[in-house]
Amino acid sequence: MTLKSEFLKRRNIQEALSGYLFMTPTLIVLGIFLVLPVLYAIVLAFHSVNLLGEVSYRFTGLKNFMRIQGDERVAIALKNTMQYVAIVVPIQTLLALGLALALNAKIKGRSLFRVAFFLPTVTSSAVLTLIFMWIYNSNGLLNNVLSFFSLPTYNWLGDPEVALRGIMIMNIWATAPLFMVIYLAALQDVPESLYEAASIDGATGWGKFWCITLPFLRPVTFFIVVMGIIGTFQLFDQSYIFSNGSGGPNNATLTIVLLIYQYAFKNLDMGYALALTLVLALVIMTVTIIQRQFFGEERLD
Amino acid sequence: MKKPFHGSIKVLYIGLILYGIITFIPFIWALSASFKSLAEISSGGSNFIPNSFTFDNYKQIFLQEPRFGRWLFNSAIVALIVTFFNLLFNSMAGYALARVRFPGNQFLFFLILAVLVVPAQITLLPKFLILKSLGWLNSYQGLIVPTVVNATFIFMMRQFFLNFPKELEEAAALDGLNRFETFFQVVLPLAKPALAAQTIFIFMGSWNEFLLPLVVMSDPDMFTLPIGLNAFKGQYITYWNYIMAASMVFTLPALAIYAFFNRYFIQGVTFTGGKS
Amino acid sequence: MDLPLWRSQVRFGMKNWVSRWTCFGLFLLLFSCQLKSRNANAPIEITLSGWQSNPNESKLLASVINDFEIKHPNIKVKREVINSQYMDVIKTRLIGDVAPDVFYLEAFEAPMLMKSGVLEPLNAYITPSYDLADFEPSLLTAFQQNGKLYGVPKDFSTLALFYNTTAFQNAKLAQPPKTWAELTQHAKQLTVDTNRDGKPDRYGMGIAPELPRQLFMIQAFGGRLTDHNNYASFATPNAVKGLQLLVDQYRRDRTVAQPSDVGANSNSEAFGQGKIAMAIEGAWAIPYLKETFPDLKFAIAEVPTLNGKKGTMAFTVAYVMNRQSKHKDAAWKLIEFLTSKDGMKSWATEGLALPSRQSVAAALKYDRDPLYAPLATGATYATIWQSGETLPTVMTSFDNQFISALLGQQPLKDAMKKAQDTANREIYWSN
Repeated sequence: MTLKSEFLKRRNIQEALSGYLFMTPTLIVLGIFLVLPVLYAIVLAFHSVNLLGEVSYRFTGLKNFMRIQGDERVAIALKNTMQYVAIVVPIQTLLALGLALALNAKIKGRSLFRVAFFLPTVTSSAVLTLIFMWIYNSNGLLNNVLSFFSLPTYNWLGDPEVALRGIMIMNIWATAPLFMVIYLAALQDVPESLYEAASIDGATGWGKFWCITLPFLRPVTFFIVVMGIIGTFQLFDQSYIFSNGSGGPNNATLTIVLLIYQYAFKNLDMGYALALTLVLALVIMTVTIIQRQFFGEERLD
Repeated sequence: MKKPFHGSIKVLYIGLILYGIITFIPFIWALSASFKSLAEISSGGSNFIPNSFTFDNYKQIFLQEPRFGRWLFNSAIVALIVTFFNLLFNSMAGYALARVRFPGNQFLFFLILAVLVVPAQITLLPKFLILKSLGWLNSYQGLIVPTVVNATFIFMMRQFFLNFPKELEEAAALDGLNRFETFFQVVLPLAKPALAAQTIFIFMGSWNEFLLPLVVMSDPDMFTLPIGLNAFKGQYITYWNYIMAASMVFTLPALAIYAFFNRYFIQGVTFTGGKS
Repeated sequence: MDLPLWRSQVRFGMKNWVSRWTCFGLFLLLFSCQLKSRNANAPIEITLSGWQSNPNESKLLASVINDFEIKHPNIKVKREVINSQYMDVIKTRLIGDVAPDVFYLEAFEAPMLMKSGVLEPLNAYITPSYDLADFEPSLLTAFQQNGKLYGVPKDFSTLALFYNTTAFQNAKLAQPPKTWAELTQHAKQLTVDTNRDGKPDRYGMGIAPELPRQLFMIQAFGGRLTDHNNYASFATPNAVKGLQLLVDQYRRDRTVAQPSDVGANSNSEAFGQGKIAMAIEGAWAIPYLKETFPDLKFAIAEVPTLNGKKGTMAFTVAYVMNRQSKHKDAAWKLIEFLTSKDGMKSWATEGLALPSRQSVAAALKYDRDPLYAPLATGATYATIWQSGETLPTVMTSFDNQFISALLGQQPLKDAMKKAQDTANREIYWSN
């Protein structure tokens, strides 16, 4: 063994050790408060569980998963949720990127705009819901504006055809500023020297954007899209409030997490609820992996 | 990026102002509602300036609920501690996942992604049982410890560190710094924008957290603000006037944190020479 | 790459920052631990959990509890208000064995909890002087299973017809409707479109398309919500008949509206704003309307008869005791005090609900108050909002589909069939 490889080996061990040390707090806390609960959930998904009063676990094998096949509401909820994800995620990502680019430009009053744009994110969700009820109300602000421009008006809260669209708009409006902030933070890290070099090479504003800014933002965009997908797949609050928890009318606002919630807390059918959760997790994982291929994220080595 | 869209600066401004109005109006409306009586809110007018301006709502929430100050304190202390540890732990983990070569790196990254996917409603019950067996119900640590690490922001920090210029670390290594020294002395100080973003989100998340404190804290003295605010929502009638006033009191600290850390995006941080 | 650059940035950056914040963090942590261990020398402490309807009610309850603590100096009552996701929290705490000693329980949630054995039967605690017979019998039944009593009803409310007297005068209607046919007719006369834009400015009546409000409509023509095995059975022609009346009023006559149609959050709000002339609501709406819409002139009558029979809904809430409570005697003393004649009297004056003791209702003259009398009378024929432990499943399914029939997406018959099938499939699987 040469001296050099000995040295490299020692360095590798040291490197690995420091890696684990860096991860220690995370591993402990996530292990106890997230992985353990998830493992518990996985075990319960194969049982029929009664936790209230007389605690009983009855192993039922795949029964909970067979049940999913025959449960038409799962398919409906999945379809609603997918539709929601497919529309909301691209729009909110693009909007966030656009806002961040605009606010990163050296224009006057940008810090004022930054605070104003961020307001929806700091306002509590109870208040946001009320505000939207007020805006969506059949004689509310939105309809007033629409009728002013002689556009058709809707009963945004009562009509299922538009209720889901109303939820989408609200979600985009409330989430985009959040992602805008992350984009803004990432934009600070773009090395100025790259732009300068590009300028010398005669690149235009758009050219710089396509060749420097966008590639640089790729890892952050991956994060934002994944978080957007996870967040929208877990849509619950709004559809709960809009439908009073039923997911109606005729399942129009039923989402996967609302369905899981109904089974877990209304019916106290934990085993089945957890089986559904596993399926949801599988779907999101698949989408994320597809997405990762798409973004072609660089590997560590 | 200096003057990116030369001629279209006017269009940009018009767009920004329009979007600003869209985001501002709801907030202004909530603010104005906090100065209205319940009767005026319920009568369904769309006026921004209250017909009869009243401070009663603000007075009421402080007078009628003697614990309001205590809840404010609880929320603040939990949010501050949680934010502090999150910044530290998430950055460490994110850095390790992005930069340090160790067996299981990819696996841990996927584990963290997997953990993100599980809805909070589902882990609530097991989490609650674990906290109970630790004897941490009704205590600050019951709220703090499970949230000192956040998978979302580990993921975010990882993505940020992927772009981090390798040259800096190489230079530090040549200088004889080990991984920890490099991280704390070189990497972290230059990650200010990402840390600022993280601070805003973690603080807000902890400040707004509802489900966990609702289940963990049963002693009214230990409530955080969102749980306390909940009391203004009646079983049959919602007291929007109080909720609006309380929400304004509630929103301000989060907004202040945001406005404060916002300056890190304006300052910007440069990695390479040329500008100092 | 020039090293001094990062050095200079670091100097004023991280080291100080880290150490300062670490100290601060540790300080906060220590401080918070100290705070926790402060209060430990109370005598017996019991917890009472519930929701609150409005701030006044809360103040009244606090003063009653204060009286209790004076009478029992060795017992301290800790009150906890949970207004959102109340049952989720209670169920979670019950599973974790940290539930409150005494808590509110709505009748419709009772069967599941009674069956699972997490509630303490109260029969052994009740003395003759407590006078259990004074309670409205139908309310007690809601909290009984296999001959055991698991909760003492604290109050109740029925539904009655609220009507806007100004609107009635303008439409030259002298009397509130007595039958549903009359109500349908009245609703037509009360629907007005002043600006003639094709959308009424005021509807005849408001409708809440939810099972808790509509169960009596299912029963009016002999329909049944569930069969004896607790499976849903509301898709029969008899059950659909009553509901069809509402759907017709909504779709054909266009004389009734949901709150969202008129831009309100609830029927009582729409009624207060004058956007609907009639609403079927409970006692809780009375203080709200008086307080929020002082100019509104309204009166209350019994719900019009359907199929020649009287019918309405009744909602009741009880105090129940946790079987795992460590201070059961103290917990019972609290329940006993709160539901005693004096205790009930001192906080039933708020008027959000009717007292569950007949003697208290009589003493407070609710049966002679023109606003409350129709609600009080309703108690004799009301359907209590309760069914077996499958009710939450049945309700979710019903609410989901009924509204789609109301919106005209499918005929009511089909919607109910679909709702019943969905509910029953879920009930079947969960057994």
